Amino acid sequence: MIPMESIIDITLKFVAITVVFTVVLLIVAYTVLAERRILGFIQGRLGPNRVGYGGSLQPFADLLKFILKEDIVPDKSTRFVYFLAPVITTMAAMMTMIVYPFGPEVNLPFIKTIPLVVAHFDVGLLYVLGITSVGVYGIALAGWSSNNKYSLMGGLRSSAQMISYELALGLSLIGPILLAGTLDLTKIVEMQSRWHGMGWLILFTPLSFVVYIISAIAETNRVPFDLPEAETELVAGFHTEYSAMKFALFFLAEYINMFTVSMLATTIFLGGWNCPFADLVFERGSFLFALVSVLAFLVKVIFFLFMYIWIRGTLPRFRFDQLMNFGWRFLLPLALLSIFITATMIFLNFF
Amino acid sequence: MLVLLFILFGGLAIGCAVNVVAQRNPLYCAISLIGVFVSLACLYLMLAAPFIAAVQIIVYAGAIMVLVVFVIMLLNVEQEEKRNIRLGFLVPVAVVLAAALIGEVAFILWSVDPNPTLQPSDIGLTKSIGDALFTTYLLPFEITSILLLMAIVGAMTLARRTGMLSPGARVIPGAQLLAVSDIDPSASHDDQTPISSATSDEAAQILGVVKRDQSKRD
Repeated sequence: MIPMESIIDITLKFVAITVVFTVVLLIVAYTVLAERRILGFIQGRLGPNRVGYGGSLQPFADLLKFILKEDIVPDKSTRFVYFLAPVITTMAAMMTMIVYPFGPEVNLPFIKTIPLVVAHFDVGLLYVLGITSVGVYGIALAGWSSNNKYSLMGGLRSSAQMISYELALGLSLIGPILLAGTLDLTKIVEMQSRWHGMGWLILFTPLSFVVYIISAIAETNRVPFDLPEAETELVAGFHTEYSAMKFALFFLAEYINMFTVSMLATTIFLGGWNCPFADLVFERGSFLFALVSVLAFLVKVIFFLFMYIWIRGTLPRFRFDQLMNFGWRFLLPLALLSIFITATMIFLNFF
Repeated sequence: MLVLLFILFGGLAIGCAVNVVAQRNPLYCAISLIGVFVSLACLYLMLAAPFIAAVQIIVYAGAIMVLVVFVIMLLNVEQEEKRNIRLGFLVPVAVVLAAALIGEVAFILWSVDPNPTLQPSDIGLTKSIGDALFTTYLLPFEITSILLLMAIVGAMTLARRTGMLSPGARVIPGAQLLAVSDIDPSASHDDQTPISSATSDEAAQILGVVKRDQSKRD
């Protein structure tokens, strides 16, 4: 006989996983719509506004279209790797979702106190970095297995870019880790709860934040770092030969990656679920406090998503040598400088 | 439950490892090796060493193997052909080494206590690793970092070859290297001085040769 406690535990885990994946995928689907509408606004046109009220059903129409399209596999592709690549990309994008704390601990009446995080992990931050680094394979293998020179060039560019910017990304996170003294994302957020939820780490490490944002945009292959899929040079880069649902998986992975790096930025630098002064109004641990916190978390993440779209509508694309020079000669030393400053200030007991 | 997971990941690791040797296509070998590293990371996790598991993924699967895959793709290594074994004497050596390895494993299996007394250990945790690395093992740690620095400097020296460029030459990363004979067909083919420049005209200027077919193209 399985004890009651563990049944509740397992049920809660399943509920948590289902809720997190559904909500995140819905937000991701609507990010695509928001991107098209906002880009339309920036470029002085309408964007998709026909399906549903103001285009609100457009993501589902797109999905239906992707499912119903013919799936074309290039004749001389390396079959196994060709099918493996989108799977790796999507899995790597989705797996990081489970370690982010979406909210504080909440007392559920009659059940127990639960933390609003799917998996509590001692080295959550390293887990995120590890899974992100595995995501490179999907793109590199997709480019290689398509047996197409544009795809191969796109895949090579992308892996070079992701390897280069991963360094700056990892180094930019060291400053906040030094301050927090832990790799556990839940503890990092709780540490930022002081001063009524205003002890955000961006106040102490603004330079790291700038480096993180720039390298996060490069990691997700977005404008102005979208060299792997530069249309004018490489058709569509690594996913030129992918069609129908396999293309949709790459598309989905790109937007999930945007969402997860935004979540990481929010968690590490912008206080995670901490809503300023919410603890003065609501009692900690109550349901309303949790609700406000989750909303605060989502608002911060959506701000980053909006910034992504804003940048896409504003900036032109880098040239490849500019990209490499910028990453290695500017961003990496800047990240090291930021670590140096933070470490020195901790050494002098400044914080 | 734990035994089932151990069998799953152990079997996956062994299967992938056999695949690394058995596959003829180098890219499949590389993918199998990634599989080995990921299964090993899962085994580390089961041994309550999350930090080592994460580092295993980041360093081996995320950095080293990416470079290996990158090189395989860049050189477009074709499927390795089956050829006669020239180094035939290596086969008995391999048998002897395998026997030694199996003997060691058997000795370890025989010598360990089958019913160990379990006690909590914090060897694999981030804090204990950090403590050990920056106190007890500080000197090896620093020596390793110097070794890495030497490797970086060596790679830079081998890749750049600045001595062969004229002082005014502009080096563009990713630009092609041109030999003199590419610009001036009449030049001696023994001169293999590589120069780096953005265009062939600039290369001709640096080398001090005039392109022959320039008038024709205009």
